[in-house]
Amino acid sequence: MSAIVNGSSIKKGFGAGTVSDDVKSHANDPFVLKKVEEATKTLQRVGLPGKKKK
Amino acid sequence: MNLERYQYSNSNDYHDYEFYSEGPKGRISKMVTFSRIPNSDPAIYNLAFGDLSTVTGELDDSVSSNNQDREIVLATVANTIVEFCNHHGNHYIYAKGSTASRTRLYQMGITSLWEEISIDFEVYGLKDNDWQEFEPNQNNYDAFLVKRR
Repeated sequence: MSAIVNGSSIKKGFGAGTVSDDVKSHANDPFVLKKVEEATKTLQRVGLPGKKKK
Repeated sequence: MNLERYQYSNSNDYHDYEFYSEGPKGRISKMVTFSRIPNSDPAIYNLAFGDLSTVTGELDDSVSSNNQDREIVLATVANTIVEFCNHHGNHYIYAKGSTASRTRLYQMGITSLWEEISIDFEVYGLKDNDWQEFEPNQNNYDAFLVKRR
């Protein structure tokens, strides 16, 4: 279930965010770790554009 | 870019970005997290994007919020990529949905914003284990690789 609260904050064009101590690292969330593992395997297999793995 | 986007907050190290999607379903907490692919040289970062669970507090992209603001959400994610690059350099950024249909949603989002995105970013799509220059409406890609110009 996602967090749902009330309010509004739409901006136009590029702009910097607000640095906040309330924004915690999610690097070790299971979903993120799984995505990084999958990405690592894919990139090991296919390489980068113009640098195809032999 | 000159698109509508949500205001967001970010962590001190500019790896994590949080904003709220606003629409018929209410205000939904969204998260973008950049993680370096281990041992990548040049550095490649994985972009993880999804909702923040009220139950676990963790990022999860298995939820489909359908808040009728996809373009604003995608523009916000693009904005976080620009901000990440401003602080960490113009590295390759890898993105893939957790399912084929979600990856397809990412592709539709990139396509709908293509005129703006293509100005600032090189975008590649993974097809048949090969990176191809992204072409809107041409292929169903398996993943995406983005690099700011």
